[in-house]
Amino acid sequence: MAQKNLLQGINDGLRQAMEKDPRVVVLGEDVGLNGGVFRVTEGLQKQFGAERVVDTPLAELGIVGCTVGLALAGMRPVCEIQFDGFLPAVMDQVICHFGRMRNRSQGRNSLPLVLRAPHGGLIHAPEHHSESPEAYFTHTPGIKVVIPSTPEDAKGLLIAAINDPDPVVYFEPKRLYRTVKGEVPDAYFETPIGKARVAREGTDITVLSWGAMVHTCLKAAEELEKEGVSCEVVDLRTLTPLDWAGIAASVEKTGRALVAHEAPNTGSWAAEVGALIHERLFHKLRAPVQRVGAWDIRQPLFQLEKYYIPDAHRVVRGVKKLLSRQAV
Amino acid sequence: MASADQRGPMPLTTVHEAKTQRLEILDVEGRADAALEPKAPKEKLLEIYRKMVSIRAFDERALKLQRQGRLGTYPQIIGQEATQIVPACCLEPKDWLVPTYRGQGAYFARGMQLRYSLLYWGGDDRGVRFPTENNDLIFAIPVGSHMTQAAGLAWAEKLKKTNAVALCWLGDGASSKGDFHEALTFAGVHKLPLIMLIENNQWAISLPRAQQCAAETLAQKAFGYGAHGLQVDGNDALAVYKAVSEAVTRGRRGEGPSVIECLTYRMGHHTTADDASRYRSAAEVEGWKAKDPLSRYTKYLKAKGLLTDADVEAALRDAEAMIVEEVKAYEAFPKPNPLDMFANNYAVAPWMLVEQRAELEEVLREKQSRAELPELPPAEGRFP
Repeated sequence: MAQKNLLQGINDGLRQAMEKDPRVVVLGEDVGLNGGVFRVTEGLQKQFGAERVVDTPLAELGIVGCTVGLALAGMRPVCEIQFDGFLPAVMDQVICHFGRMRNRSQGRNSLPLVLRAPHGGLIHAPEHHSESPEAYFTHTPGIKVVIPSTPEDAKGLLIAAINDPDPVVYFEPKRLYRTVKGEVPDAYFETPIGKARVAREGTDITVLSWGAMVHTCLKAAEELEKEGVSCEVVDLRTLTPLDWAGIAASVEKTGRALVAHEAPNTGSWAAEVGALIHERLFHKLRAPVQRVGAWDIRQPLFQLEKYYIPDAHRVVRGVKKLLSRQAV
Repeated sequence: MASADQRGPMPLTTVHEAKTQRLEILDVEGRADAALEPKAPKEKLLEIYRKMVSIRAFDERALKLQRQGRLGTYPQIIGQEATQIVPACCLEPKDWLVPTYRGQGAYFARGMQLRYSLLYWGGDDRGVRFPTENNDLIFAIPVGSHMTQAAGLAWAEKLKKTNAVALCWLGDGASSKGDFHEALTFAGVHKLPLIMLIENNQWAISLPRAQQCAAETLAQKAFGYGAHGLQVDGNDALAVYKAVSEAVTRGRRGEGPSVIECLTYRMGHHTTADDASRYRSAAEVEGWKAKDPLSRYTKYLKAKGLLTDADVEAALRDAEAMIVEEVKAYEAFPKPNPLDMFANNYAVAPWMLVEQRAELEEVLREKQSRAELPELPPAEGRFP
């Protein structure tokens, strides 16, 4: 095992998947010679050649549409959309085809593809380079959405996504690319899709999160511990399909749940998680589920983004607010 | 029934022929082909010169500011001064200016103070203040998403019978997007006064022009939509002036859209976050230095007797002084109040924004009480 950062974990996963399966091809803007704008695909074109690691023309919808075709005809394509803010352009393929192809063809066709994209803010990037658009994807039936928060999961989830028979959207929390380090097994392995991870054990409240926000929640949990509040932090890892058993096990234990994420709250994936908990565990809850998310406005330019994306302070506030409320 | 061999010959008929031409007026030494020289007033030629000098100097300063940590990610325009400044100088204020994110030259040519460009790339949402008398559209960051909007702008001007045109900048990369096809499809069908000015700077981040599209030229794409198409030397200010002026005239006359492919070169990195040495050779960059748009244009004006060495010095001095002022003004801007982000999201802010703004106010007060945040300037912008 070696210490790696998140970016190296992804690169490792891509490399081993390509070594194992000649059907795996990587395509996207600047992914080849340049190794991607974040260097996630660094070295892959050199190792596997320009036919398998393809620098595409600047046309996001074209990249994703071709990915559908490649997958239909037996390849295992992994396409990259360079920034989260460029994803809206590809929704025609995602919504109208990704999740529907298997069903529309009455099970004859499948789309074993992966769509990779960076996720989230706080790296001082320009506009449309710091978004958290997961809810547009999780709302779409027939696809899976995953997002790692550790280097090990980054590798294992990517390999699982590539091997999955259905389309998987794989988000990469970009502010973790180089800031989070951890042990990553050298072997080829899968982190199962659909399984959450308890990132920190606790007894008073369950804090559910994903992506970079998991680390913000861990920081908040440390602060709260000093005040005698024991938080269990759960990293969902897979957004669809949710690990309901994992969520329920934790929330039944603590009787309280808070969902923290980077996107605006309205219509967010946090709203869905909260609704599920209310529907299924209402009788076990000691207080209503609380959400901590971004405001319901467009993400501001970088000078103000730290007041837009929740920080540990806002998670702590949310937990305290929740603890101050008692269900009847 | 007649058998196939009894039918008469059915030769292939040529139904369309197109010729793509390139316009060049200045050679690399700045010598003009007198037969092609546009009839531009002396004042216009000198205005273009001064603006090209200014934006070159600004670009160099902005790069330094970024390297010093005084500016965020910045997209340089060095090498593209002719395609930035000249087209904007061919327009009237009523015409729509629709630049890309690499468009600070175009906005500046229309009168925007460069402090706002710094402010925007410094991560401040107040950095998009364009002169109110102009029809200047805010640039789009998702590449090419502005092109169909430009067609809509041109369409509206046609419906309003204003005689105004829309000038839309795009890069070689954006010409691959579906939006390009759709914008020109609409513009062709409705004979819209739309000018699609392709700044073909040879690179879309790391992708060279040859891998962007297999067609020999991007100008020839025009013919697929019934538009006028022309390639020009984009480092030749006179050629750009002539091509754009003629396209504007065609637009005003109701003769429909034009595509102008300007051959130029991105001398800098894609942005300051990029390292172009990873994917292109220094020799290639050197080769383009010989075609520098500003030095060619300077030589031309001097040879014409429109510019003296003293004028050149004065232009540089004036540019420097202006930039010093603009940087000073940029850095003197009070930091934005975080509450500003709630302004101008809706004509009237709905309840959740009112609540959330109040919550942020509480958060800010808590941070101030813990000395994590300094005193803030008053909030700006319209709310609720």
